[in-house]
Amino acid sequence: MMQTSPLNFRRAVIWTGRLLLAGIFMYAGYAKLTMGLHPRPPIGVALSFFALQVDSYQILPTWAVKTVANSLPFAEIGLGLLLLIGWKLRIWATLITLVMLVFFFAVLRSYAMGLQINCGCFATPEPLTIKTVLRDGALAALAVLMTIFAFMEARKPHAWTAPQNL
Amino acid sequence: MDNYVNTGKVYLIHRDFPLPMHAHSRVAASYARAAAHIGKFDAVEQALFQNQEKWEANGDVKGTVTAALSAADMKKVQALVDGRTLEPLIDKDKQAGQLVPVNQTPTTVFHCKGQTYPYAGVMSYDILKQFLDQLLAQK
Repeated sequence: MMQTSPLNFRRAVIWTGRLLLAGIFMYAGYAKLTMGLHPRPPIGVALSFFALQVDSYQILPTWAVKTVANSLPFAEIGLGLLLLIGWKLRIWATLITLVMLVFFFAVLRSYAMGLQINCGCFATPEPLTIKTVLRDGALAALAVLMTIFAFMEARKPHAWTAPQNL
Repeated sequence: MDNYVNTGKVYLIHRDFPLPMHAHSRVAASYARAAAHIGKFDAVEQALFQNQEKWEANGDVKGTVTAALSAADMKKVQALVDGRTLEPLIDKDKQAGQLVPVNQTPTTVFHCKGQTYPYAGVMSYDILKQFLDQLLAQK
């Protein structure tokens, strides 16, 4: 009975992950496009400034830096929206998990290398510290759990589905 | 420098921000500031950065600067350093940096059309060029 309850632990994790990660992704994408400045700078300025921040991680070649900088803010908003809506949840949850794991390993690597850079997560001059690593690690762990539980829940009949023997 | 500063598109200001954790950075800033005062900043800055590990270890900032200047220029620079007349300017730069705030090395602050864009870390020329072009294209 507990396993089919609509309010079990797995579903609580899935809902928490969906709401939290969707909110963070949409805000992060929006912040990168507006830079939190008033008046809002032109989008070309915002994207090229974000490219500087991506470049500061010293991971990607120039062409890849430009590609990531020009697409990531829009991808974050799109993925956040799709995760929130919940349609084809397992696909978007998997993609968000992959993105979160990439973010986590990027900040972990930069922290381990002692790079004195800004995180670039929300387009604010936020220094990359152990706090950033722990925050991204926690969000990546939440994303992994959300995705695993989404796959597990999808295998079970829904709690409100009529029994087969009726 | 050639494409943006020398052509007058970008105004570059060097600010001193000597950190207490680097024992000789204040002395290096004093010599660099004095060299700038007599128009020899580029040569001294280059010598200081190229030999940073050496003078950080042995503290011989003066020797590094001496090697980069003529005897006459060194005499002028030394007089300015000994006179300590430029020290308040270094303090003023540091205070300006603390307002940003500067908490990483290196930090670059871009100003354009009333907006401020603080950036920490090194940057590749292509990516910097793209950003500067976008800033300059603003109407």
